[in-house]
Amino acid sequence: MLDFDEEVALTELLTPDQLDRLENLLSTLAGCELSLVSAPTVEEQATPVDFNLDTVGWVQGSAPAATRSAAADLAAFLTYFVTKYRWAANLHRNTTETTYQALQQQNIALRHSEKQLQVLADSLQQRVNQQVEVIQAAQQELYESARLRAVGQLAAGVAHEINNPIGFIRSNLGVARDYVAELAEALPADHRLDSTLTDFQALLQESLTGAQRIAAIVADLKTFSSIDQADYSDCSVNALIEATIHLVQTNQATPLPIETRLTSLPPLHGHAARLSQAIYNVLDNAAKAIDTAGVIRVESGSDEHGQILIHVMDTGGGVPGDIQDRVFDPFFTTRPVGSGTGLGLTVARDTVQAHQGRIRLESAPGKGTRVSIVLPTGRSEP
Amino acid sequence: MAEFDKQHLKLVFKIVFYGPALSGKTTNLMQLHTLLAPERKGELMVLETKDDRTLFFDLLPIGFRSGSGLDLRLKLYTVPGQVQHDSTRKAVLSRADGVVFVADSQHSQQHNNASTFENLDQNLQKVGIDIAQIPLAIQFNKRDLTDIIEEAALHQRWQATPWPPVIMASAIRGQGVLETFQLLLRRLYVQINPRYGLADRFQIDEATFVALLSRADTETGDVGL
Repeated sequence: MLDFDEEVALTELLTPDQLDRLENLLSTLAGCELSLVSAPTVEEQATPVDFNLDTVGWVQGSAPAATRSAAADLAAFLTYFVTKYRWAANLHRNTTETTYQALQQQNIALRHSEKQLQVLADSLQQRVNQQVEVIQAAQQELYESARLRAVGQLAAGVAHEINNPIGFIRSNLGVARDYVAELAEALPADHRLDSTLTDFQALLQESLTGAQRIAAIVADLKTFSSIDQADYSDCSVNALIEATIHLVQTNQATPLPIETRLTSLPPLHGHAARLSQAIYNVLDNAAKAIDTAGVIRVESGSDEHGQILIHVMDTGGGVPGDIQDRVFDPFFTTRPVGSGTGLGLTVARDTVQAHQGRIRLESAPGKGTRVSIVLPTGRSEP
Repeated sequence: MAEFDKQHLKLVFKIVFYGPALSGKTTNLMQLHTLLAPERKGELMVLETKDDRTLFFDLLPIGFRSGSGLDLRLKLYTVPGQVQHDSTRKAVLSRADGVVFVADSQHSQQHNNASTFENLDQNLQKVGIDIAQIPLAIQFNKRDLTDIIEEAALHQRWQATPWPPVIMASAIRGQGVLETFQLLLRRLYVQINPRYGLADRFQIDEATFVALLSRADTETGDVGL
């Protein structure tokens, strides 16, 4: 190592081999023994080798002074180039090392920030995925609710179209029954058609009962879909409950054991069709929950704050505790694929919340389930 | 930081010629090598250049022996001006005792002058030197060119700093080089005299100091090689 700030010494600048070689060359040129030393031992036989104002060594030997001086100049001449090379090489090495170290530090800093960026990118990706899930769920929900609305409108349309024909069918059947009665009276007592007429009357009575049932279903459908109502109107919750129960019953092969205990309620300003749908969904769940032995009980009432309370209780299998929190989640269902959308209670909850109300599900597995709906009417009782 | 060898009464100072690329630092040193005839003068070492640009540094050692026995030397260095050689600049600047800032007078180079002066300030700080404390002479070189800033404007600009007068020079013609060097020597003397007792101990006053180190080439000096 030789820094440009340091003093130069010939014996350090050259290796022992190189020094030997230089001494031999100088001796050959001088024609007598010359040696290169860092300090003279015989002053009168030594000449300094000067470089950059410093004496870097001595040429010593018995040669004439002029020869020694030339040898010293030659050594200084060599020193000039060796020093120049060493200074440049060392300075270059030092600055390269400094630069390399600075680069390494920058590299470490870069790696660190790259790692941070990666973490940031990961968390962003996670958030994007979450948002995509939310959007997908919302889209599906929108699709399902649009489908439900379409079905409701279809039902309302059908109900409206059937209403008129069923009206005159009922009326005509009533008149026909009266005519048959008149015919029976007008005939002599011993006519041969006695059994035919009796049978005719029974047929007409049966048809009339059937037509009346159709009319009732149509009325319920109209109430359920509120085809005649504006979106929001004052509606009777009890009427909605009764119509919905009838609709649920018509979907069953054998009538369900549904007990009702409805008490007089204040009118509710609400969206009848959606409220009907909400009650229907809750009832439909209860219907699917009970076995042949089970019972459904529907109660309504109001409290002193003018809130309408609806309870739908069943004695079915109940909902396990670990999934009770999720029953209102969209697309959550325990039923086999294809038999339910998983949106029933979600729609019910959304409707109740749109009416500033609350819905709650309590269940004891194996004993049954109770769904409670509270709907504020905005009217306090005095 | 000067080196003082008490045994041999040898005192060595380091002067650095600093400035933007191609402002004429090496030319200054070559002119000093030609013009100066101090008692002792070494060989001008130009370490390595590429397209006329210094890669490492140049070195010119000069000095004198006083009658009182003091062996005083100055090592004059240049730094590479190009931006990418900052590590080398810092290495050369370390332990400097004085700085000559060689600026380029051309209009187009004013931005380079400013950023290099800032670089000098920063590098001095990095090697532990306060720019306000170190002897510093400023030279505006290339006065022989045409598209240059007017002298009055330069004097005015540097008036409020600790370093006026700024010296106008044309190093390539040998003008202003000695003046710059002498200004630096006077500023150096003011600082080193109390520390090393040049006047009291060695009977070297300021005029002698400047004269011995910057006398013009009328006699033959010790030319070394």
